[in-house]
Amino acid sequence: MLLSAPPSREAVAPARPRARDMVTILKTPAAWPRILLARADAKDPVDLDAAVAEGAFVALERAFRELGGAGTTAAVTASGLRGRGGAGYPTGDKWRTAATTEADRRYVVANGYGADPASHTDRTLMMRDPYAVIEGTAIAATAIGAREAFIAVRGEDTELIATLSTAIGNATDAGYVGFDVFGSGMELSMSVRPVQGAYMLGEETVLLKALEGKRGQPDQRPPHPAETGLFERPTVVNNVQTLAAVPWIIREGAEAFRATGSTRAPGTVLVQVRTPGKDGVAEVPLGTPLREVVKLGGRLPEGRSLQAVLIGGPSGGLLPPDALDTPYDFDGLRDAGAHLGSGSLVLVDDRTDLLELVGVLTLFCSNEACGKSIPCRIGTRRLAEIVARREAGLLRPADPQLATDLAHDIVASALCDHERLATLPLTSGMRYFASAFDPDSRPATAATGS
Amino acid sequence: MTDTLARPEPRAAETEASTPATTRGALADRLLDTQAPQRPQSTPRIRIEVDGRVVEGFEGQTILEVCRDNGIEIPTLCYEPKLPGFGACRMCVVEVEGEEHPPISCSRSCEDGMKVQTQTEEVRRLRRTNLELIFSDHNAYCLPPCQNKCPSHIDIPGFLKANAEANWRESTRIFKRTIPFPSVLGRVCPAPCEEHCRRDEVDEAIAIRDSHRYAGDQVLRAMLDEHVDPPVPFEQQVSSGRRAAVIGSGPAGMAAAYYLLLAGHDVTVFERDPSPGGMLRYGIPQYRLPKVEVLEAEYESVTRLGARIVTNAGLGRDFTLDDLTNQGFDSVLIAIGCYDTNKLGIPGEDAAEVLDGLEYLRTATLGLPYPNHAGKRVVVIGGGFTSMDCSRTSIRQGASEVTLVYRRDMKDMPASDEVHEAIEEGVTAIFQAGPVRVITDDAGNVTGVEFIRMQLGEPDASGRRRPEPAPGTEFTIPCDRVLLAIGQGPELDWASQPGNEGVQATKNRRLKADAVTFSTGRPGVFGSGDVRIGAATVVEAIAEGRRAAYAVDAYLKGMDLDAIRTRQTLAEPQPEFLSIVPFTGEIKEPRYRLKPLPAEQRNRSYIEYELPYTREEAMAESTRCLQCTCEAIGFCDLRRWGIEYGTTLQTLEPDNHHGAGYRSITENRFTGVNHDYIRDDSHAFILREPSRCIDCGRCANVCAEIVGAACYDFMRIGFDTLVTTPLDMSLNDTPCVSCGRCAETCPTGALMPKPRVLEKYEVDESRCILCGICVDACPYDALRDSTEFELSHTGRSEPMIDLMALAAIDKETEVTYIRRERDWLERAQIEGRVYDPGRLLPVLPPTLAGIPAGARTNGNGHGHDGHGAVAALGPGQHE
Repeated sequence: MLLSAPPSREAVAPARPRARDMVTILKTPAAWPRILLARADAKDPVDLDAAVAEGAFVALERAFRELGGAGTTAAVTASGLRGRGGAGYPTGDKWRTAATTEADRRYVVANGYGADPASHTDRTLMMRDPYAVIEGTAIAATAIGAREAFIAVRGEDTELIATLSTAIGNATDAGYVGFDVFGSGMELSMSVRPVQGAYMLGEETVLLKALEGKRGQPDQRPPHPAETGLFERPTVVNNVQTLAAVPWIIREGAEAFRATGSTRAPGTVLVQVRTPGKDGVAEVPLGTPLREVVKLGGRLPEGRSLQAVLIGGPSGGLLPPDALDTPYDFDGLRDAGAHLGSGSLVLVDDRTDLLELVGVLTLFCSNEACGKSIPCRIGTRRLAEIVARREAGLLRPADPQLATDLAHDIVASALCDHERLATLPLTSGMRYFASAFDPDSRPATAATGS
Repeated sequence: MTDTLARPEPRAAETEASTPATTRGALADRLLDTQAPQRPQSTPRIRIEVDGRVVEGFEGQTILEVCRDNGIEIPTLCYEPKLPGFGACRMCVVEVEGEEHPPISCSRSCEDGMKVQTQTEEVRRLRRTNLELIFSDHNAYCLPPCQNKCPSHIDIPGFLKANAEANWRESTRIFKRTIPFPSVLGRVCPAPCEEHCRRDEVDEAIAIRDSHRYAGDQVLRAMLDEHVDPPVPFEQQVSSGRRAAVIGSGPAGMAAAYYLLLAGHDVTVFERDPSPGGMLRYGIPQYRLPKVEVLEAEYESVTRLGARIVTNAGLGRDFTLDDLTNQGFDSVLIAIGCYDTNKLGIPGEDAAEVLDGLEYLRTATLGLPYPNHAGKRVVVIGGGFTSMDCSRTSIRQGASEVTLVYRRDMKDMPASDEVHEAIEEGVTAIFQAGPVRVITDDAGNVTGVEFIRMQLGEPDASGRRRPEPAPGTEFTIPCDRVLLAIGQGPELDWASQPGNEGVQATKNRRLKADAVTFSTGRPGVFGSGDVRIGAATVVEAIAEGRRAAYAVDAYLKGMDLDAIRTRQTLAEPQPEFLSIVPFTGEIKEPRYRLKPLPAEQRNRSYIEYELPYTREEAMAESTRCLQCTCEAIGFCDLRRWGIEYGTTLQTLEPDNHHGAGYRSITENRFTGVNHDYIRDDSHAFILREPSRCIDCGRCANVCAEIVGAACYDFMRIGFDTLVTTPLDMSLNDTPCVSCGRCAETCPTGALMPKPRVLEKYEVDESRCILCGICVDACPYDALRDSTEFELSHTGRSEPMIDLMALAAIDKETEVTYIRRERDWLERAQIEGRVYDPGRLLPVLPPTLAGIPAGARTNGNGHGHDGHGAVAALGPGQHE
């Protein structure tokens, strides 16, 4: 017997997010398409009718009624959509793997954890347009034949949890998801899963562990989650931005999607640009030169010049001003020694001691390690110690070479991406800002090659 | 994935080909000739190429499994064969052709045709980096180097621990396991152990020698003053009826006699001189080793075990080996030492006043004045302990000038520790000079010795730089008497005499005897000590004697000596020392030093010149020991891989060949902040030493996945992550079932079965759930089921426990409920609760109630008449 009725959704959730919780959306050139943030200006993001009037759930219905699983996957594959979580794995391939792996159950997990504490891209998307994420997640579930889907978010972000819960409730009531999708009798249960944890939870296998109620530690890949994931079932883990792009692709067609962004990486991503005085989120077509993305951040304070750009969050890369022609996409950034990561872009002006910045970032990555693998637990700590020795002027003679050697070995024997990327601030810093790392403070030394 | 349903092809194909369905068409025929699709009889096989060799495995196996099945070893630390690969240690990385990052073999499934390299330079480097990282945060030790460096391998941490607890007797007992004479060695040992003490990396080495000296002295004092027998390391065996002769009562001979006596043999020691002791008595001066108080007292511990010592009986002089055989000795151990002083080989050496140092000491060590020594100018040539004893004794005997001349540098001098004391007492020491000739006058009296300066050349076999004469640097030291102390060899003239056939000398003028079995060419005759290895230290001689005793014992028991050789060689492999992190947290506390008498007092006196410790000092000094030893030695995977991958260092080994000297712990490239955890020995069975933990997670996985108790997991985050219990609580507070699987799987010494002596079990009755597992598991039927109750023996004082009754303590069961209800009346009365008998109802059937039915119908029992129980209930119907 139920002792008390569950609280109504209205009682749990404030219907409308308050303005102070919202991050500014930066103004972008008119030519840039709006795919993810198309409905971001809605007065009430959880108003289902308004969203439907703007085209929400059209794509889901098409995928459900017309395209079917294989057709949907084919459409996504044709669009060239790549995972927005940072690695840029082709989404269609991941879905096909999950759909074709034999299993009794399959899952879709929308990764909205937003591990990077300085980035609000995923949160902005989910707060502004929860239905895009819900619809994308439902389409993914349709495509692979999953009956259950989870949106994983930070446990401490109660407002986001409330917003998503309300939105999922509304969508369930309207029959888009739930026990009777489009009156077909098919079940697709969707829920918000608040997870408590740490930076590591951005890693997909760690997130799955957390969803299973275990300690957040990565598993060796392969097998990838698409083959063996949540509860050892095929699981599609996609970033919420990836999923939010899917309804647009189904609605407007793969060709239209390919027309945006770059050839290697079509579409747009959300970028959080942070300058000393300003920050905000913008939707940027992939392949846009870094210079234009940096421009969104506005001017630096009077008399200051740009020293470096930190791209991709705490475990991101440091790029110099003369690398601003790099295209902002997966491959361009990787070649330059950074990565898309959390979509965070921090403009570092010339007041900053880069060495100190690298020290802080490396120590952060080390402290946030889950402690499972040796190179990560001890290795990243030793990297941080080397930087600290340099800061304190206690550098041992072999240290510069040791740092690069160790970074290389950490990357080579890494268990998950966290430890691979944890070396990035140091290695990219040494590559582009040799003088800051040279023990004798002379520009360009042999040790900074790597 | 291939299709798991495979139809057995050959037979089906054959059927279709030979008999078309149209002719035989009947269903029955088809059923008779074909088989239904079946599961494959075994997992499909695959072939992969490992290090250029094609090996076979089953589909679904990991690379590691296939390699192990085919005898190819890949190092692992976190892999537990009962569980799927975990991937924490990154040791099993291999290279797979066509892959960017080397995968780990414990988690990577094999694919047919895969090409794997397990030992490329790249993966070996990655493994070594990993190991170095582990060692940089491994605040633990493997072997104590002191123990290894001791020629007799004394358990030094063991006796120091007993010392720290002021348990001198136990300390001495541990010491006597390898050396019978702690007090003697406490005075004369050069203490090679102390040079390698790890405490030196904190502040100063432990005074190991002085510590066992104190403990040994306490035991001697108890023996002499209170007639307490000294402790024996092992229980003396019952008499074997075999007779062993030992020739020579020096350190080697007496040590051998001691261990032969313990083994139950009847031992007779033959000594050439009037008193036993050999070099200890006639070669080491009284001021270093008091003869009566220490030497004779220590030897008494051997005679108390039953040794007979026959003095004034010299081999070759008074008896032959044949004589011993004829007297009925089953074995003979020759340990006659080295008494033949080497010659200089220079002109003038034959002069009367050029004396054999040992001859001189023979008189002088006993404190007797050597003829005509007082007032003489004496030159002592040599750098060993004998030269030191000659010089310092000469001072005490009133020589007017004593000059010590040694051909090498001071640091290469065997007795370099003692030279400062000699100089303090008035000896002049000259280094790097070699004698050229002894100058005599016409009467044949010595007037001086001409020396030449030596320069240091290339290092020789001993690692010391070879001295070479520097031409034109000759100089003369005027003197009246020369003492030669340039080393000794054994006297082996007797070997060629009749009656001693079968014993030979080596080319180097030593007794020929095997290094492990100590057997000479003559059956039943063994050789050990200085006579076999040449003049050496006392501790080396004792080690020889002890090892020889084991060989003689084996011979007397009729065992195959060749088998002994194999066993001993295997039992004493040369260890390597693990790189360890610096002891940053250790409090610095300098060594307690023995205080010598002032030089001006001691250079006239033969009394012992070093003042012993006080009890408190001895305890404090032993407490300084880092106890740097690990119980997991020999089982530790980390150590094994550390050695293979060269991340262990010969930390304290001098590297003479490369001139690098002592390699230091900083050779670990990653030395940095490290963890120092506290040992948890609160659990009865499992000892946790988190400082040795490498966070592989095996215990956590085994405990959670196999046992189900889940006592451990990774705790905390980042660098501070540690596999431990929740909140680091004691294992007693976890669901631990004491199965020991965690200790079994631990690749290092972080979790170990606790060494313990079980006297009695206690059953915590409040926690017993009557699962019966103890009854099932007990190998001795000490616990068992009975017809009605499970019975338990929990110690001899209270042999049986009714577990059903135990369960009633705080658990409600049907039986306990019934019992409680049955007796409630009595209990209510005892507790003073008064009930209205009129309200009593027959709530239980009579068979259960235990009260006569009639009584109950009356409201309360006739059955209780006479006990007053009923009356107490109140105004009953009786009244």
